[in-house]
Amino acid sequence: MRALLMRTCLVDHAAPSVGRAARVVLERCGVDVVEPRGQTCCGQPAWTAGYPDEARRVASHTLQVFAGEDPVIVPSGSCAAMIRHAYPEAFAGTPDEDAARQMADRTRELTQFLAEHGLNPGCSHRGSVTYHDSCHMLRLLEEKESPRTAMAGASGIELREMEATDVCCGFGGVFSVNYPEVSGRLGEEKARHAAATGADELVSCDVSCLLHIAGRAHRTGTPLRVRHLAEVLAE
Amino acid sequence: MSERPVSYEDVTGTLRERATEALGDEQLRTNLRASAGSWAAGRKRMDEQYPFQEMREKGREIRTRAVAELPQLLDQLEENLTATGGVVYRAADAAAACRYVVELAQREGADLVAKSKSMATEEIKLNEALEEAGLRVVETDLGEWIIQLAGQHPSHIVAPAVHLNREEVADLFEQESGGPVENEREALVAHARQRLREVFATAQIGVSGVNLAVAESGTICVVENEGNGRLVTALPRIHVAVMGMERIVGSWEDAAHILELLPMAAIGDDAAGYVNLITGPRRPDETDGPEQFHLVIVDGGRSALRGGPFEEILNCIRCGACLYACPMWKSVGGQAYGSPYSGPIGAVLTPVLEGPHASSAGQLPHFSSLCGACHEACPVGIPIHDLLVKARGQATEQRPRSERVGMWLWSRLWSNPVAYGIGRRLARAGARVLGRRGWIERLPGPAGAWTSQRDVPTTWPPKPPSS
Amino acid sequence: MATEAAQQLIAALTRRRASGAVVSADEVVAALDRQLDAWNVTRVVLADDPLLEQLGVADALGGDRREVLTWPPRLGARELLGLEGPAATCGVSVSVAAVAPRGTLMLAASTGQGRALDAAAAYHVSLVPDDRLHDSLAGALGQVYREGPPPSALSLVSAPSRTSDIEKISTLGAHGALGLHALVIAG
Repeated sequence: MRALLMRTCLVDHAAPSVGRAARVVLERCGVDVVEPRGQTCCGQPAWTAGYPDEARRVASHTLQVFAGEDPVIVPSGSCAAMIRHAYPEAFAGTPDEDAARQMADRTRELTQFLAEHGLNPGCSHRGSVTYHDSCHMLRLLEEKESPRTAMAGASGIELREMEATDVCCGFGGVFSVNYPEVSGRLGEEKARHAAATGADELVSCDVSCLLHIAGRAHRTGTPLRVRHLAEVLAE
Repeated sequence: MSERPVSYEDVTGTLRERATEALGDEQLRTNLRASAGSWAAGRKRMDEQYPFQEMREKGREIRTRAVAELPQLLDQLEENLTATGGVVYRAADAAAACRYVVELAQREGADLVAKSKSMATEEIKLNEALEEAGLRVVETDLGEWIIQLAGQHPSHIVAPAVHLNREEVADLFEQESGGPVENEREALVAHARQRLREVFATAQIGVSGVNLAVAESGTICVVENEGNGRLVTALPRIHVAVMGMERIVGSWEDAAHILELLPMAAIGDDAAGYVNLITGPRRPDETDGPEQFHLVIVDGGRSALRGGPFEEILNCIRCGACLYACPMWKSVGGQAYGSPYSGPIGAVLTPVLEGPHASSAGQLPHFSSLCGACHEACPVGIPIHDLLVKARGQATEQRPRSERVGMWLWSRLWSNPVAYGIGRRLARAGARVLGRRGWIERLPGPAGAWTSQRDVPTTWPPKPPSS
Repeated sequence: MATEAAQQLIAALTRRRASGAVVSADEVVAALDRQLDAWNVTRVVLADDPLLEQLGVADALGGDRREVLTWPPRLGARELLGLEGPAATCGVSVSVAAVAPRGTLMLAASTGQGRALDAAAAYHVSLVPDDRLHDSLAGALGQVYREGPPPSALSLVSAPSRTSDIEKISTLGAHGALGLHALVIAG
């Protein structure tokens, strides 16, 4: 099976190893991974900030880069949700309407794709993790199970659920810079809950939340290791 | 648009400043956690006992249908209510609604008004209007009375005094009564009961809100738990009910469903203590009840929302569930919002009722991480997180110039792979220059807002704090 | 079947710190008497309802322990509220319908108890013939509205007066009845 990997802008800029890990995970499952050249961003930062024209400009480019029939796999619940949930609305009434719907239909978050096709990358990692349910993964994609299924499929991973795992970490895109104090406080609480599990590391399906939680933990001196779930699964 | 804004005019500072101040109030945060916690526990019980998802779908269908048929339903309501001897007044805006009630009070020679809890009267600022006209207005819902004594604004649609503790309440009661008041919960409730009985017995006018009106019978529903709603609507000579124009359904069947959903969502119980279904004034063969019944139906920007991108906000039944579910509201409480409607629903409702050019529009919808917990909690399935995004889009001209220019520039660079690639290399180079031991502590320009609270890792996975 | 619904009603009311019992018609007066004593009630205002008349409640409850009045009681709001005269007044109503699973009683102003008796008096007992129990609010409302034009006031009562406005802890006796007791009459 062929699939298009959308690394996402945040991975490109802050966590390139997540893109490589996602590729390894898929290839180990026998997927023929293509990373389309010229890919940038799904357009979400502008969309959620209230700038639909700017969002469409970037999203149109993404529609072109990922054109075709192959599934699009994204190692981010939030970016996948942007495409699946917001693209049809963002492009409604434009010439790209059909293309947007079609891309929404074939786009999946990484663990969602694995679960849907019953794929197991055969992860050999041994250790304990706690998992943060990122909001868009949980509430827009309604995906609580797929990351847990992926972890359960790796016999060496011990999942220690944290308190309030389904409560927002406070990142929220532009919210994080418009209301940094409230955002920071929520990040701190999330880091505390994660650390309290005593797990070796905090994993999630969104680098955005992890950057925020880890950054706040580092600022406040909370000892916390974070990784994207794909990086664990790729071991 | 209304002559009176929905937002409170005496609120100072920016939303960010008020929110940051609230974050430092440990008592407030303790109370908020406790109240959100008890709500969540009740809500969980309801989810286990009832098919909440199905009920929610049906609730959404009922409210959507009612909003679609709004003009006809209001005509039907007016016709049926008038036939019972009630008087209906349709107020285009807050000022007209207040004028009507003030003139009625003056005509009837009233000097004391007893009120039960009502978001609509809070929205139109009826108390201020009546007080300006020289009337005494007493809130009788315990939480509202406490807030009134404190000279504050309510913190929650259902739990207005959630930000105060019992010591603070006892102080307020002592100031009001001029005598000592024990700061135990039961004693405080008993004290309020005694003080307010005099008000129920002597007020000439009782003012209530309306949780729901039923068009086919000309009935209004007032839902409450304390019993003050009943006393205010039954004992004074005149009853004035104030409703937002969208708070209506057509049939008794529809009303029954919404009345079942409301307490489940609002207080995590399957029935409210008292639901008062009132169909007009005292009848000729009856020995009690008000001689006059007036229903004031307030538009205040609502009819303009029909058929537009914010129409679904009219489905709201004012249960307050989205507040309890919202991480932002739980962090700072309702007063920081500076408007009667706080939380996610308030962050949409206030700017859309006031119009995109109001001062609230550029701030309120941004006070959300768009986590979607509001939508999940909403008993009529309003996609509040999507409406917040739309509300942001309506007021971009009020955003900082740096944001607007930044978005424009960003969209041009990131739709071009070459520019994107150059930007990526520049970001890497910048990280090498600014980073110390794997972390950046301060970023320049607007990005400084990020590093005001967090460090930025220059490696991935980030290096944990060395301890 | 009727008994099961009656138990449901009482269980739901009890969850909200009200109380209740299932009694036969013969036992109503004694059960009422016990409840009034438990609350130390010194004045009773009875709804003007054929059921109460039929059961002979007015005569049976009287005596020197308490004053018994029938609606309309010629009392002003001040007396009903306990601002004048004895504070321990109890309103005795007859429910026109009830919702068993949710523990909701329905009182109609038109059936001899006015609009505020149960909420203004310090205590409230309501009699519910078990053939008036319904399994949903829609069903109970349907019964009331099939019987004729809507009453000027229909009150749904599901708990004693309660408030959570002080530190979010539910406390009884805010403004309405301090105590609520339902007597379901079987058969």
